[in-house]
Amino acid sequence: MLKSKAKKPEFVADRAARRIAVGVAAVSGLFSLVVCVLLIANYVQVRAADPLDNPELLRLRERLSASPEADEALVEEIRALDLLSRKAFFTSQAHLRMGGRLLLIGAAVFLIAFRLAARWNPRLPARQAGTDAPAQRRAIARTRELVSGIAVILVLAALTAAYMTPTGIPAPGEAAPPDTPGPDAVAESVMPYPSWEDMLAQWPSFRGPGGFGVAPCATAPTAWDGDTGAGIRWKAEVPLPGFNSPVAWDDRVYVSGATDTIREVFCFDADTGELRWRQALPAFPGTPGTPPDVTEDTGYAAPTMAVHGPWAFALFGTGDLACFDVDGALVWGRNIGVPDNHYGHSSSLIALDGELFVQFDDKKQPRLLALDVATGNEVWVAQRSRISWASPALMPTESGFQLILASELDVDAYRPDTGALLWTEEGLDGEVAPSPTFSGSTVFVANEYAMATAIRLDTVDGAVQSEIAWQWEDSLPEVASPTSSADYFYIATSMGEIVCLDVASGEPEWAQEFEQGFYSSPIRVGDRIYAADLKGTTHIFTTGAAFESIAEPRLGEPVYATPGYFANRIYLRTEQHLMCIEGNGE
Amino acid sequence: MTGRTRILAGLAVLILLAARGWAEFRFPMPEFESGYEQPELHTPLPGRTNDLVDAAVLAAALAIAAWLVLRRRSRPGVFTLTAFSLIYFGFWREGCVCPVGSLQNVAEAVLDPGVAVPAAIMWFFLLPLLFALFFGRVFCAAVCPLGAIQEVVAVRPVPVPRAADQVLRLIPYAYLGVTVLGVATGSGYLICRYDPFVGFFRQGASFNLVLAGGLLLVAGMFIGRPYCRYLCPYGVLLGWMSRFAKWPPRITPGECIQCALCTDACPYGAINEPTPDTPPEPRRQGVRRLAILLLLTPVIVAVGGATGLASHAVLARLHPTIRLAERIAAEDAGDFAEMTIESETFRASRTTTAELYEEARRVRADFKGKSAWLGAFLGLVIACRLIALAVVRKREDYEADRVACVACARCFPYCPVENKDAQVESQET
Repeated sequence: MLKSKAKKPEFVADRAARRIAVGVAAVSGLFSLVVCVLLIANYVQVRAADPLDNPELLRLRERLSASPEADEALVEEIRALDLLSRKAFFTSQAHLRMGGRLLLIGAAVFLIAFRLAARWNPRLPARQAGTDAPAQRRAIARTRELVSGIAVILVLAALTAAYMTPTGIPAPGEAAPPDTPGPDAVAESVMPYPSWEDMLAQWPSFRGPGGFGVAPCATAPTAWDGDTGAGIRWKAEVPLPGFNSPVAWDDRVYVSGATDTIREVFCFDADTGELRWRQALPAFPGTPGTPPDVTEDTGYAAPTMAVHGPWAFALFGTGDLACFDVDGALVWGRNIGVPDNHYGHSSSLIALDGELFVQFDDKKQPRLLALDVATGNEVWVAQRSRISWASPALMPTESGFQLILASELDVDAYRPDTGALLWTEEGLDGEVAPSPTFSGSTVFVANEYAMATAIRLDTVDGAVQSEIAWQWEDSLPEVASPTSSADYFYIATSMGEIVCLDVASGEPEWAQEFEQGFYSSPIRVGDRIYAADLKGTTHIFTTGAAFESIAEPRLGEPVYATPGYFANRIYLRTEQHLMCIEGNGE
Repeated sequence: MTGRTRILAGLAVLILLAARGWAEFRFPMPEFESGYEQPELHTPLPGRTNDLVDAAVLAAALAIAAWLVLRRRSRPGVFTLTAFSLIYFGFWREGCVCPVGSLQNVAEAVLDPGVAVPAAIMWFFLLPLLFALFFGRVFCAAVCPLGAIQEVVAVRPVPVPRAADQVLRLIPYAYLGVTVLGVATGSGYLICRYDPFVGFFRQGASFNLVLAGGLLLVAGMFIGRPYCRYLCPYGVLLGWMSRFAKWPPRITPGECIQCALCTDACPYGAINEPTPDTPPEPRRQGVRRLAILLLLTPVIVAVGGATGLASHAVLARLHPTIRLAERIAAEDAGDFAEMTIESETFRASRTTTAELYEEARRVRADFKGKSAWLGAFLGLVIACRLIALAVVRKREDYEADRVACVACARCFPYCPVENKDAQVESQET
């Protein structure tokens, strides 16, 4: 019994065994080192070869996105490259795992061999000299000084870090200062903002006040002729191209134009068509030296301007946003980021109660910005999950305005004052360009190759509730946004068809085919719908339950932009001209 | 193997195999019409063993460790148990649950009455402390997987100068304080997030964490147990318990002959020398210093609290919301061209920047008072350490430091008294 408890001697040398152990330790140590180096190299390779960011794959995907028709060969090429890229990634990962295991085994062998080598070449215990009183005192004093010194250093370091480190979170209401503040920005910031009633007497944004395709006036001209000039009050040349629509406030009409090198804003006299001023935007911090790629049918000046009393705002495909006063002086301007979407940026601006809303649908950071109209300072930002090429619409409701945006999947409504999301519904699909409209408490959106969706809103205990009322899947718009009357929604397609749907049931009341398609959005003026087709013929018909044509005046120039209907006039932009149509008032 | 043992072993194997059965789809798979074949199920298994079984294994390992250290006084036995713990708690259980991390669960439950601690985690937290209260830090000796991996690689440990060792031993207090602050503010479990060895146990972690763990292990070849001595926050609690241990490890089984050979064995600076016959300084001077330090203690604590309060914005960066808000603000200001995964996810969410900033301001305000408490705690730790240095305790023999000794049993074979006893036993045989 006692034998079993006897311990083996601890300090016994064995030279032969030690030599073997040292050899094994050396080999396994070298092996582990080599594996370790290879693992690091493999890690760097795996990290660099993320299959999701393969540049060739991204390039091919962009090519496919830009391709108007499905290119099967390209799709196959993408699939093959994607598979190859993933295979390479996962093979590298498998190598990493295998290397990790080999390293573990190598390290274990090294440690065991090293320990055995040490055991078979024991270092005999050495007697340590005891510490006398003075030495102990010195040691304690040294420790005390070190502890105190380190404590003081830590306090100083903490205080320095606290006061030197920027905290980086903007305070409420605080935002980045505008890059180029205008001369009278501060003075103008105290100017009263136009009310909703003021806006209803103007044409302040794309598709009119609120941007939902209904003109504030009851009548508009019905007779003009582009060939003879009959009914056309004036016609002015717009110096630069742009697909944006005219906006107007009092006696001024604004449009913008741009090429890949220059971005300008033009202000015309509403009565005479005289060019009052034109202003080129300077390069702001962040303005790209090389403009982003855009398609020809989008260009660099697709977003329609907004005008809000004394301020006119313009946004371009480079992300440059500028505010001018009525005399053309730059109030503020900034680059809000170079938009990354594959057609080019096209969402238009809209303003309300001193805030300018920018639907900035960048593929990586889609967001909705609310900026102070006088300073350009950010009031709030709402992140969006998906993009679109549509524009925001402002819907007045009993509980206040709702800012309604379409995206590739959802329809989202935000509070204009806070950016809080009020409701969201999945009612769209594909690449959405048409903007929302509404009738009563029913919001309506539509997009080609997807569906049209009516969303009914209700307010319960102060909270907005939404539900999809019905959907429609035939004859859908590609570019033109729908409009509405009290009982019907109207869709104008790029194939040349206009469909009238019942607001309550979604049942089609009638459908009318025309020779030309529609890019310009139809607008309701009183009890009439005005829809300008791609050849410049405006189809005017009643809002009744049956199609009843009133007139079809021709302009003779292609029309892509949506005309402005304001003070018994129509401001209409063609490819090269801006013109004012004024008839008998009908 | 008896029939009953075979039945029990069979049942154990069945239970282990049954664990696979728990890994099933929560929702039915979609049916494709394109002939697509569903990939093989790769859902991680819920657990290799039951947590309560682990707690039982922990209790058994602690009991065996105490027996090996205090009764058998066997360094090979302790090392063998260390190897078992490394394999079982480390590589097999992948370092989780571990008592070191469990202190965060307990801290959260203490700070938030709405949070409950699972029984197994409670056992993991309490058992090592209970054993430390009776037998010293036997958990560190051979049961903790983090200590075990360092013990295994400690092939040529050299002593750290005593003064530096004393200062470095303050770091675990700071880590403990920051850990509790992290839990109290909802910043997450920092110990788990920055566990340097879990990457080896699981054979997978971020590159930085694996690198940090690798550097610690390489350093651990020459500096014994750097994580245990200079980082481990749970070691602070174990030290507090083992200070009052009823049967702490003793260097010699008999009477100390003052040979000082044991000090050559301990690479952890955990052996205290006998005090010299003459005191290191006149008693009057020592008492005066002690009185001054006692009077200064509230001042040191207050300075610590004020420093903590002033640093709250920096400490608030522990919280993911603060880091995200600062990142978003910097991205929006154009400081970064690329997004991180976190900022990209946020931007894809439906939370507005204003809401994020508001939440960040709330979190930062929450850090104010709690950071002041952290600073005050660290001030108290420093004051106590200075007071401890001012107090001279009379020691006749070479003794294992009750707080610092990890009961590794390295010093046992170096003791001539131990070897003499062994020789006597051998001769009797």
